[in-house]
Amino acid sequence: MVNSFSPMGAPPGKNPFGMDRVLLRLAVLGVLIVVAFVALFSRLWFLQVLASDDYTDLAQENRIRFVYSEPSRGRILDRNGKVIVQNRLSLAVTVDRQIVDEPSERNKTLRQLSKLLEMSTKDLRDALNDITVSPYKPVAVAYDVNMNAANTIRENGEDYPGVYVERLPVREYPQGKIAAQFLGYVGEISPEDLESSYFKGAKPAYRAGDIVGRSGLERYYDRSLRGTPSIDKVIVNSASNVIRSDRVQVGVPGNDLMLSIDARIQRIAEDALESGIQAARASYLAPWGAAVVMDPNTGQVIASASNPTFDPAILADGFSNKDQKLLEGGTPDDTIDDAMLNRVTSEGGPPGSSFKVVTAGAAIFNDIIDPYDSLDCNPTFTYGVDNQIFANWTSVDMGLMSLARSLEVSCDTYYYQLGAMMEDRWGAGNGDGTERFQDYMRKVGFDAPTGIDLPGESGGNVADKEWLDQYCDEVGGIGCEYGWLPGYTVNMSIGQGDLVVTPMQMANVYAAIVNGGKLYEPRIGMSVLRDGEEVKSIESEVSGNLGLDATTLEVMRTGLEDVVSGDEGTGGSAFAGFPLDRVQVAGKTGTAEIGETGRNFAWFVSYAPADNPEYVIAVCLYQAGHGGESAAPVARQIFEGIYNLDKETTVTLGQDESD
Amino acid sequence: MGMRGVFGEGVDRIGGEPIAAQMARKAPLRHLDPTLLIITLILAAYGALMVYSATAGRQESAGLDPSAFLNRQLFYITIGFALLLMVSFFDYRHIRSLTPVIYGISVLTLTLVLTGMGEVRNGTRGWFDLGVYDLQPAEIAKVVVILAIAAFLAERKTDLSGIDVTLVLAIAGLPSLLIFVQPDLGTMMVFVFVMLALLVVGGAKLRHFLALFGLGLVGLVVVFQANLIQDYQIERLTSFLDATPDVQSESYNQAQSLIAIGSGGVRGKGFRSPNTQTSLDFVPEQHTDFIFTAVGEQLGFLGSAALLLMFALLIWRALRIATLSKDLFGTLVACGIAAMWAFQVFLNMGMTMGIMPIAGVPLPFMSFGGSAMLANFVAVGLLLNIHMRRFLRA
Repeated sequence: MVNSFSPMGAPPGKNPFGMDRVLLRLAVLGVLIVVAFVALFSRLWFLQVLASDDYTDLAQENRIRFVYSEPSRGRILDRNGKVIVQNRLSLAVTVDRQIVDEPSERNKTLRQLSKLLEMSTKDLRDALNDITVSPYKPVAVAYDVNMNAANTIRENGEDYPGVYVERLPVREYPQGKIAAQFLGYVGEISPEDLESSYFKGAKPAYRAGDIVGRSGLERYYDRSLRGTPSIDKVIVNSASNVIRSDRVQVGVPGNDLMLSIDARIQRIAEDALESGIQAARASYLAPWGAAVVMDPNTGQVIASASNPTFDPAILADGFSNKDQKLLEGGTPDDTIDDAMLNRVTSEGGPPGSSFKVVTAGAAIFNDIIDPYDSLDCNPTFTYGVDNQIFANWTSVDMGLMSLARSLEVSCDTYYYQLGAMMEDRWGAGNGDGTERFQDYMRKVGFDAPTGIDLPGESGGNVADKEWLDQYCDEVGGIGCEYGWLPGYTVNMSIGQGDLVVTPMQMANVYAAIVNGGKLYEPRIGMSVLRDGEEVKSIESEVSGNLGLDATTLEVMRTGLEDVVSGDEGTGGSAFAGFPLDRVQVAGKTGTAEIGETGRNFAWFVSYAPADNPEYVIAVCLYQAGHGGESAAPVARQIFEGIYNLDKETTVTLGQDESD
Repeated sequence: MGMRGVFGEGVDRIGGEPIAAQMARKAPLRHLDPTLLIITLILAAYGALMVYSATAGRQESAGLDPSAFLNRQLFYITIGFALLLMVSFFDYRHIRSLTPVIYGISVLTLTLVLTGMGEVRNGTRGWFDLGVYDLQPAEIAKVVVILAIAAFLAERKTDLSGIDVTLVLAIAGLPSLLIFVQPDLGTMMVFVFVMLALLVVGGAKLRHFLALFGLGLVGLVVVFQANLIQDYQIERLTSFLDATPDVQSESYNQAQSLIAIGSGGVRGKGFRSPNTQTSLDFVPEQHTDFIFTAVGEQLGFLGSAALLLMFALLIWRALRIATLSKDLFGTLVACGIAAMWAFQVFLNMGMTMGIMPIAGVPLPFMSFGGSAMLANFVAVGLLLNIHMRRFLRA
């Protein structure tokens, strides 16, 4: 008998029923089974040896939830401790867009809510479609709903799927409609913000869905105001029942921010600006204006008014679609009708004659003249190879005059000469190309943000050859074929042309003139408080210097004083009847014309008291006549308010024909 | 005793032995397969422990007896073991002669369970509530169908005609159809696979398989065309192809299952350790169809591989007994049982590891459940029976 093949260890030699073939067939089955087991083992190896770490992470995600509780946000106080911004809880109706996700469902929910909340479906829809709220978070469609409506929703949950009633913290503004632009508003952090340098490195880390400052001081000081959320690490089971909860981070409320702003003066400034704009609108378009009050000795901003303005309470619950129309300023010119724009720091224009102190400063700094030199104030100044004529604002020949008097009467030809002398030596068109005039403008802070503690500050513009070449390359336009012309420098010497400055920059330069030459990085924030105790003082840094000696500054101040109190001062009419004997005001008017008539910038940059200045005020009105006519009266009104000189609350226009 | 030569020593020795000694040596009990019995008991104990770990936490938090499921499983094991003894006691040839009766009863129970007498669980009408014991006739039918096909094929002596194959198809098809109606696609697939395995070993020819394959295709088309299969069933069968574990979708079970096994790593998180997928109840049906996740997560690769090895040993013993059987019926029964276990292990573990569709097939000896435990112990009883009586005359 021959031994048969027996794979399974069967004793050989037994073959009662054709076992050989059966064994062969069995082997087929055996091989199949071995393959299956090899497959299982390989998969097991992959899952538990190779990919185990990934699954460990997934298991953690499964069971561990971090529950964040937002801390209460810090308040914002004025310099005297008056509350400007605080929190309150608002009864809000929110809709979960994850649940209410089909159009028909949405319409049904919106119709129901519209009836219940007595709101239009359109407003509700706009709120629901708010793209600034993450889709994973219920979006608030109505704040401050009445208790009855809230109870209806709470008690009839099945009729309102995906609709909730929550108490959400919103900002509250006890001082009312002031300071809207620089306070800013809060809202959910955007994906871009999360990646931005300000928010990225913060501790504790910012998370998607966090409520943060979206603009203004709320944004700039968000790290101080936000506080620390409490975090609970919660282990849940599959039914999301909490098995265990550990507090991994203790919540701390946000710190209060105390501002250098004086709420009283802020209100005075805003009222004066509004009143001045309304007065100017009798004769002009006057779509917007700005006024800033600054302490020249500390660099602190005392008041900052921008018009058109809005009630900050509109944005108390964040910026949503429905707020858009509430924010329309109602100005005569729609295209520049942005009430949220802070025109003190983010808007500007050519400063006109208020810039003359800078031209004089540049000339003295570069030793073109000395402060006691006199120059002719002719009706015209002829310059250049083509004998271009630059006219004074008056055809009267005012004769030889000092620097101080040139400021008082705002003689243009005096400054054309200074501009021409600087252009001849250092101009890009005529001189050695070192452009020392423009250099000086930059030295005193133009063409760059002042560094104020607000986001979105504009640096303005200083025109020079490089800028023009670039502008012509990118944009082009009339005159670009000539390139930089010497006449541009001459024109800039009286603050005209392609010079763009912000009211904040002007206030800063005048502050330097009265404080001995120090240029500050202005500050609105003054200190960070916790429970009323200062935890951090916010100091205004000295960022530069005018580079002029005391004598020069003294001469300038004399001239600026005479603008207001001299017989021929361009600001005189605006201050007619003002008790200058009690509070001596000094300043400079400015009227910059751009293009067509009427599209000018009216400026008045001033300070008081002249002998020991406490306040610098810069006022700028767009399309509102001359500086002495519409801007100076606004400043006057503010000074009157600050020093309690007059209970009158409206501005009357002054007389001014100078540039 | 001296005759040695061309015949093996064994043969030589048989020849020289007294009849009484020969009888004693051939006595069934002396030829018990202890390895098979030990593996079976280890598996059942392993399973019971895992069922305990998968249910104790939930029971505790519900204020119930944490050992309730363990006790029940031990009860099932005890009943199963008693049946094992019973089944191995009688010569399996008697069981063979009873096969038509057993088959008839099985088909009857499968029919009755579809009526109002049956209970619905997870959408499947497949249980009798007998008070102390929940009977799932489909699980019992697995072993019955193996016996029935084996009995039929053993008559044909590996020489099968087309009609024979058709009859086998009918024997397997009738209970399959009844199970399909419940519906319990997983169990039905086990029937189909066991039938194919028995046809392979039992002597079906290539053309028979080609014909069956064609028939299967036609059957699939009919099933889909006539909408006999529900969308969720298709979804269940195909969701494992979706590579990303989505905890919100139909593949939730599978995603949680993968996470449990994968996060177990090499050493596992430890028996009954807190804050696991198992203890936090993240894997649905963990104590029944997904019991392997409790092994994978708590005992890791080491525990899982050990389990896989145990199943390999179990199936090896079954196949070995198939080769040792003194008759074709025994061989076929052992083959059928090996195929049933192998397919269930592959389908169940493959399902929990995301390489097979979600099909409600329990893991032999491990999953919580009375009927499957009973059927599997009966299967072991049959195997021991065949093994013990391999020397007895036909």
